[in-house]
Amino acid sequence: MLYQLSGSLTTKVKTCYDSAVKNVKFIDIIIIALALLIIILSLYLIGPLKGNPLVTVSSGGSQWAYDLSVDSTATFSGPVGKTTIEIKDSSVRVVSSDCVNKVCVSAGKISKVGQWIICLPNEVFILIEGSIETGGDVDDTSF
Amino acid sequence: MTPLSENRINFVALLGAIALFLSTIEYMIPKPLPFMRIGLANLPLLIALALLDNKEYILLSFLKFFGQALISGTLFSYVGLFSLVGTFSSALVMKIIYSLFKKRVSFIGVSVGGALSSNIAQLELARHLLFGSTVRFIAPPFLIVGLITSMVLGIFANSFTLSSLWYKNHLAERSDG
Repeated sequence: MLYQLSGSLTTKVKTCYDSAVKNVKFIDIIIIALALLIIILSLYLIGPLKGNPLVTVSSGGSQWAYDLSVDSTATFSGPVGKTTIEIKDSSVRVVSSDCVNKVCVSAGKISKVGQWIICLPNEVFILIEGSIETGGDVDDTSF
Repeated sequence: MTPLSENRINFVALLGAIALFLSTIEYMIPKPLPFMRIGLANLPLLIALALLDNKEYILLSFLKFFGQALISGTLFSYVGLFSLVGTFSSALVMKIIYSLFKKRVSFIGVSVGGALSSNIAQLELARHLLFGSTVRFIAPPFLIVGLITSMVLGIFANSFTLSSLWYKNHLAERSDG
């Protein structure tokens, strides 16, 4: 019985696979290639990530930068309330946020350059960046 | 503009209801990011390409957006705006790809094209509205997940439309009338 069931399931999966693969048309390949090209381009856009890690936070059209090696906490106000982040032992996490889903809180700690946490409802974007070599004051940058 | 017959409205409503159901399923699946979706709710939009005319298709896109927003409770928020932009840009691009290439493209290509346009439109919106140039860090994982899920969805749509009698009947009905 079980053998029969698994047998019919295998045939089902096989027909599904066959019909899917046989039906791939020329334009499909072109569109998938185009998608891959855009992904590669988007990877290029990130640029080099080197140097001392900085924690940059964008919220409400402003940007803040913190040193990842210095322990601190900061609170940001957004459309739905307050979002509090904590920098401790060279990692960042969202301690609390007034948003509904708390995706940002459950994202946990991040510690590597290029990692990020987002709270979409409260418009807070936390990113660990390599330091920018153009100099300038990183403590109070706005764009 | 002739109003839609009751029969057609019922058919669009059925597809809209499937989208609503799939939105619910999708809402139950945990995701690493609020806007990293599998896009299950796009399945009716994909399958309906050959079954609906332009007016009915726009109606279905609206039903899909509305259902998704109701399920996730994001109708009047930024997230709802993202969903609106994503839904309509992918619907537009899927319709264009399908009517441009007809038999030379399968649902895989249509689905990937739709997901790509939806993702790019949402990233562009995020760049202008929320995160500025930092959005480039979200782009690669966002696009990669979109490519994979849309390919899986396209493969499913291919095998479904080949084996489904329901689909064949509606396709025949459409070419008759």
